[in-house]
Amino acid sequence: MENFVFSSRAKTVTGGTAIFGLVLLIISYFVDGGEGHHMRFWTNLLHNSVFFVGISFMACFAYAAFTTAYAGWFVQFKRLWESFGMFLLPGLFLMGIIIVGLFTHSHHLYHWNDTAAVETDAILNHKSAFLNKYWYTGATVIFMGVWYFFISRIRQISIDEDKNGTTAYVHHARIKKYAAPFLIILGFTTAACIWQWIMSLDAHWYSTMFAWYASASLFVAMTALTIMILIYLKSRGYFPGINAEHFHDLGKYLFAISIFWTYVWFSQFMLIWYGNVGEETIYFRTRMDNYPVLFWGNLLLNFIAPFFILMRNDTKRKFGTLFFASAIVFFGHWFDYFNMIKPAARETLTHMSHEGGEHHEEGEHATMDTAGHGDDHAAAGHDGHAGDHATTGHDGHEAAHGEERVSTRVFLPYKAGYTVPGLLEIGIFLGFLGGFLFFVLSSLSKAPLEPKKDPYFEESLHHHT
Amino acid sequence: MAELMSTERNILFGLYDDEEKLLDAVKAANADHLDIDDVYTPFPVHGLDPLLGLEESRLHIAGFIFGSIGCLFGFGFMTWVFTRDWPIIFGGKPYWSVPAFIPITFELTVLFAAVGMVLVFYIICGLGPGAEPRRLHDRITDDKFCIAFDATDLGSEAVEKLKGYFTKTGAESVHTKVVPV
Repeated sequence: MENFVFSSRAKTVTGGTAIFGLVLLIISYFVDGGEGHHMRFWTNLLHNSVFFVGISFMACFAYAAFTTAYAGWFVQFKRLWESFGMFLLPGLFLMGIIIVGLFTHSHHLYHWNDTAAVETDAILNHKSAFLNKYWYTGATVIFMGVWYFFISRIRQISIDEDKNGTTAYVHHARIKKYAAPFLIILGFTTAACIWQWIMSLDAHWYSTMFAWYASASLFVAMTALTIMILIYLKSRGYFPGINAEHFHDLGKYLFAISIFWTYVWFSQFMLIWYGNVGEETIYFRTRMDNYPVLFWGNLLLNFIAPFFILMRNDTKRKFGTLFFASAIVFFGHWFDYFNMIKPAARETLTHMSHEGGEHHEEGEHATMDTAGHGDDHAAAGHDGHAGDHATTGHDGHEAAHGEERVSTRVFLPYKAGYTVPGLLEIGIFLGFLGGFLFFVLSSLSKAPLEPKKDPYFEESLHHHT
Repeated sequence: MAELMSTERNILFGLYDDEEKLLDAVKAANADHLDIDDVYTPFPVHGLDPLLGLEESRLHIAGFIFGSIGCLFGFGFMTWVFTRDWPIIFGGKPYWSVPAFIPITFELTVLFAAVGMVLVFYIICGLGPGAEPRRLHDRITDDKFCIAFDATDLGSEAVEKLKGYFTKTGAESVHTKVVPV
């Protein structure tokens, strides 16, 4: 079997899921639970676009990094990562919708896009040199364009190698010349894109760990998806040379980067917790109080589950357990992105409906803010109105000496699609997944599946862990 | 050949100068149903374990147990110190500040797992200070690969067959050595 044949059945399944997801996405435009501004549609669109663009980006990163590092074991399935990278073009189209919405003010995802708010808000005003729609557009279009240019050049050379490859490995050297600068470009541009796309949803908040944390999340998701697609392709009789050794290494990547993700997640959390600055703690305060399922579920899916499932040697070598673990973390990191995006977008709406008021201590939307103010007061010292005394030792002592601990926090009720992903969200996710797979598999079918002329192909066949 | 005591074994071994030759020789021995006593190499050779039919090491189970002990010990110790024995307020945090304990808990998990595995490895292999080094040939720790057969109960015919096997598979030299059991 030279080429992967994208069977009509697979086409129907993936394409059908994509159309189904599109229908759900359109439905979500009209169903927004009384929050207004079609927020459910926009968060879903942003969430899934960024997630799948990120996966294709990470595949390019892994490809460039492995190529530069003289790695040979992965070359058997390198066409798969090339195909992942091809998704950057439709991904750019999806991000384009968000950009158009930015200029027409169709959505209120980003607080910094509200001109009136930027004028009155010192923080937003201060950040406006970077957080503005021109930077957003420029970064998205130029950076994604550059990524696409590099990966499509690399793919071109790699396919040409199959036809005209020589024993002098001229093609491989040319791929390397693209891969090395590509790595440097990826390292810097991905951070800028993640700040713009996701971190600026919490426009007042920032974290220096965030780009690492979000990138690690994407790397795990990409590895998980690679494993699942490879297992599927193997079950169809493709890739006879890929065996338990290759899956063992991919499983190690899944395990190791899951731990790395946890490390970065925790570093970010602990620094903010220790610093106890109100502007920073609000990010976690909001999520812990009002979105406990997201906050704790995130750790359960992305740390506890892969840690214990993949710890043993044999679970990485058996297709069943590896597929199971991959499915969990793949969903888990989508869930992680939901946790980054949804609470932030709802917070923005709350702020926007308060435009004009300097402090939002009263009113129907006070529920989300009280928690933050509790922290502010606690950090500043003892305050009669402070909701939470327990955060400082000083207050803690006083509370213990008779003063009744009264929490003014009002917990948000669970609402599918808002505090936890609803059926609509899951459906749209599956739709995007279907669309992604449709695109990836169809570009996979356009070139020989195995790069037989790659100088490392033989090494990959004899890979031992 | 000198008389062997019951606590001694006579080992017949051949030295190879290349790992590929060694792997081929082991394959040939398996095909001939020769009962290899052990194989000694200066570094881990890929693909040797399955050829010898070795079970997967259980050392990592010890690692998991020691790691769990370290994890519980670290966390429990800090909990006891900061809530019972000597409560101190750090940075206005509660006494029982779980996030602050996690890095130390992690470090102790790694420390216990690593040191515990080394100790278990030393005990199982009979290594440690004062242990008698048991090696068939000095250059096995340098650049030679060794296949060893237990020749204690073998007749001269069988020994000749093994020597023929060594010559055939390209062994550089063949030796015998009496070692304690």
